[in-house]
Amino acid sequence: MPDWVDPVAHYMLHEGLKNTIRIAVFAVAGSTLIGVLLGTLMTIRFLPLQSLLRLYVEVWRGLPIIVTIFLVYYAFPTTPYVHYRFGAFTGAAIGLTLWGSAQVAEATRGAVQSIPREQHEAAAALGFGWVGRHLFVILPQALRRLLPPLVSLIANIIQNTTIASLIGVTELLATGQRSIERLQFEAGANSHAFAIYTALLAVFFCISFPLTRLARFLERRLV
Amino acid sequence: MLAANFDWQFIWDHLPDFWEGLKQTLKVAAIGIAGSLAIGIVLGAARAHRVPVVSWLAATYVEVIRNTPILVQIFFIAGALPHFPGHPIRLEPFTIAWLAVVVWGGAYNTENFRAGFEAVPYRYREAGLALGFGRLGTFFNVTLPIGARIALPSTINTNASVLKNTSLLTAIGFAELTNTAYSLESESFKAAEVYFALGVTYLIVVWTLSGLTRVVERRLALPEAR
Repeated sequence: MPDWVDPVAHYMLHEGLKNTIRIAVFAVAGSTLIGVLLGTLMTIRFLPLQSLLRLYVEVWRGLPIIVTIFLVYYAFPTTPYVHYRFGAFTGAAIGLTLWGSAQVAEATRGAVQSIPREQHEAAAALGFGWVGRHLFVILPQALRRLLPPLVSLIANIIQNTTIASLIGVTELLATGQRSIERLQFEAGANSHAFAIYTALLAVFFCISFPLTRLARFLERRLV
Repeated sequence: MLAANFDWQFIWDHLPDFWEGLKQTLKVAAIGIAGSLAIGIVLGAARAHRVPVVSWLAATYVEVIRNTPILVQIFFIAGALPHFPGHPIRLEPFTIAWLAVVVWGGAYNTENFRAGFEAVPYRYREAGLALGFGRLGTFFNVTLPIGARIALPSTINTNASVLKNTSLLTAIGFAELTNTAYSLESESFKAAEVYFALGVTYLIVVWTLSGLTRVVERRLALPEAR
């Protein structure tokens, strides 16, 4: 191993990968909570609510994630009535959560609707209200169908955290690019861009591949 | 009415700029969708029919692309290939743009079409062979017309994603829609107006594309699925 590798790897893993995982944890948790809630509400047959939730899902799924993040990070501070300035880290996590929650909501809606009506009726007969019925009877069963898309969502969100580098978050991609620039500055023309970008691809592959495999395995087993 | 200090006039005055960016986005997306469909059909067929070597290479290509962020792939083409040891590869920005989305979409479409071709019942292919078609003839006359139509609904999502992913080309300074908005914002500081208009433009384009492909899908759907 050449001398330059050690400090660069240390910086990329301890600063970059850490931030990548931090954003991903927030975004996955937020997407799952909001998505499951909204997806369950989408099964209620009340047109105004249904159209509102449909709009939420279609807007955040229709927008490229980078545009959502730019909206949250750049546009919110000057938007009338909003005027709220998020940090880059928070802005990226919120943008990813908006996109992820829309994905989860759509998957949850499908999973909840796949549970036979008899389950609702039986739970109601046992005295569960709407909330208890869904929380204790329907959602635990829907989880089987929900798990594969949730695992792919984790892989997707980890990949998409790279977009946070465009608003200045020092996640994995950004630390790699800074290392390239620093090495180029120090060593002149001798660029390590090829090695570092290849390493970036390799790191993301090592994280993402087991997750997509797990998703496929769960899909085969559970559904 | 949003508020008095939301500058509608600014959006109106800069519609021509947005149109210039949108044209680049649509151009790259069109090449991206066409190219990724072509790759998907060819490699999907190789995967489904387990063509030796090609099938194995295609599987590797699919896994590498699907398990790495497209933004890193874009930077790899734009920033790493010019430093390829021994043989630098320098590409035009427009080439980088369409190449990145074609390679990305091709991997997803390979999976879509593989699933579609594999869903064609084996007895259909046997029937094709029994009628005297060769292996290629059976593919073009039996497997392709049926399997591609089975794969069609899942390619719709990929098409929309290819279009949306062109927005990431802003990272390498390619002047597509998002990049146009970004430059407009940095010289005017009207972030709310610019990004609001940008979001609306993307929604119109993405929803129109999804709607159009759904119409095509319904026209091409297999008779029993109609």
